Amino acid sequence: MNENNRIVVGIGDLKTGQAPSVIRTTLGSCIAVCLYDQQKKIGGMLHLMMADSRVAGNRPDMRRAKYADTGIPDLIDDLKNKHNVEVGSLKAKIFGGAKVLKVVTANIGEENEEAARKILKGYNISIVAAKTGGEKGYQVDFSLETGKIQCRIFGQEPEEY
Amino acid sequence: MSETTRLDKMIQLVAEQAIEKSSQVLSKLLKQGAKIELKQVSLMDIALVTEKMNEEDKEVVAAFIGLEGDAPFKFLFSVGMADALQITDLFLGQETGTTIAFDDMTASAVQEVGNILSSAISNVFSQDFQVEMKPTPPEVIQDYLGTLFQQFIMDLAMESDQILIIESKFKIVRSELDCYMYLLPLAGSTEALGMATGMK
Amino acid sequence: MSRKLLLVDDAPIIRLKLKNILQAQNYEVVGEANNGVEAIEKYKELKPDLVTMDIVMPEKDGIEALGDILKIDSNAKVVMVTAIDQRDSLMKAIQLGAVDYIIKPFEDERVIEAINKAAG
Repeated sequence: MNENNRIVVGIGDLKTGQAPSVIRTTLGSCIAVCLYDQQKKIGGMLHLMMADSRVAGNRPDMRRAKYADTGIPDLIDDLKNKHNVEVGSLKAKIFGGAKVLKVVTANIGEENEEAARKILKGYNISIVAAKTGGEKGYQVDFSLETGKIQCRIFGQEPEEY
Repeated sequence: MSETTRLDKMIQLVAEQAIEKSSQVLSKLLKQGAKIELKQVSLMDIALVTEKMNEEDKEVVAAFIGLEGDAPFKFLFSVGMADALQITDLFLGQETGTTIAFDDMTASAVQEVGNILSSAISNVFSQDFQVEMKPTPPEVIQDYLGTLFQQFIMDLAMESDQILIIESKFKIVRSELDCYMYLLPLAGSTEALGMATGMK
Repeated sequence: MSRKLLLVDDAPIIRLKLKNILQAQNYEVVGEANNGVEAIEKYKELKPDLVTMDIVMPEKDGIEALGDILKIDSNAKVVMVTAIDQRDSLMKAIQLGAVDYIIKPFEDERVIEAINKAAG
């Protein structure tokens, strides 16, 4: 892969792009929401950390991409406004939500996944693939050329979605 | 000098002393020269710092430890999977190349190096700065460095978009190993250190 | 007759190092424990002559386990083996009844010296 075509996403962030770029992230309890327009070969990834932005008290300076309920709408808006993508042409794939540390008692990964599914449903965006849960990290490479996502869970062979 | 600048300088000073002690202890443990270098003490954006981690394919074994007490910190020691085998040999005083597969003893080696380094740091806090701190038992995990680093900073990243991170890199001289050590001050600890050092 | 040792540490690699050092000095390692709870069970079961005890362990730490063992047997000989080089912890252990302490990382000679001294 040409390093120049790689877009990398950190936690609480979202990025969009077009073919032939590849969007990469690495996940633990966070969920990556990948949206793609097959026709235009344009897509984006949100790396969300928490389900509900109400924990931030709706501060005007809060980082919206951290939360499913604000980050997913912002990802969609980015695709619409910067790339002229129509919501109706988007398909979703979601990954992550693992429970990596034993010391953490809450199941944040599950909550994140549930929130992402609910919000995408509200936009009528179909989730055409998902790989979530477990106790190991995920490495996700989202090809904007094909829409396919290579997902490698630590210790396992990569799989294509 | 503003209070923020003084606290920053204080954290730098404490970090330098803690890292220096860790270098000495590591050299003694592995019976060869080990140099731990303080790479940075800086306030970093959570998205940018994790983006940098996520770019690589690094697979590591890491020890997660809490430093509990008057100025709580989190501590992370990570080493590449292949290098963990060498660490095991050095720890046991065996010829390098004796340990050929990752097993319970390798995990234990990383666990104990993490324990000894974090204890050395807490000893510096206690002896030199009269700040009481004790390490928790380590949790050892193999995974992508990006994944583990995110989980390491997660509690703080949920509350804030920027975190103060103390990053050290070390080399074990004859063996050319690359290991990383991260310290993360938790809420209130910089102020507690400031009070203890008289810089606040 | 060789002295019987119980090694207590949550790191198997430390127990292995201690075992290698002390077996070469004709000590017999009769048991190992991973935490303070196991330490007390093994002590009751094996009745060792000497115990090496880590401090930072899950389930129950070494200071608590030391106290519990001394309640079972006031003559128990326990040497703390720890990376915590802090006066309050070490003094607490000694005041409770530990016979000595070894600071990690340790030299073989220091382990031998401390265990021989504890064995009398």
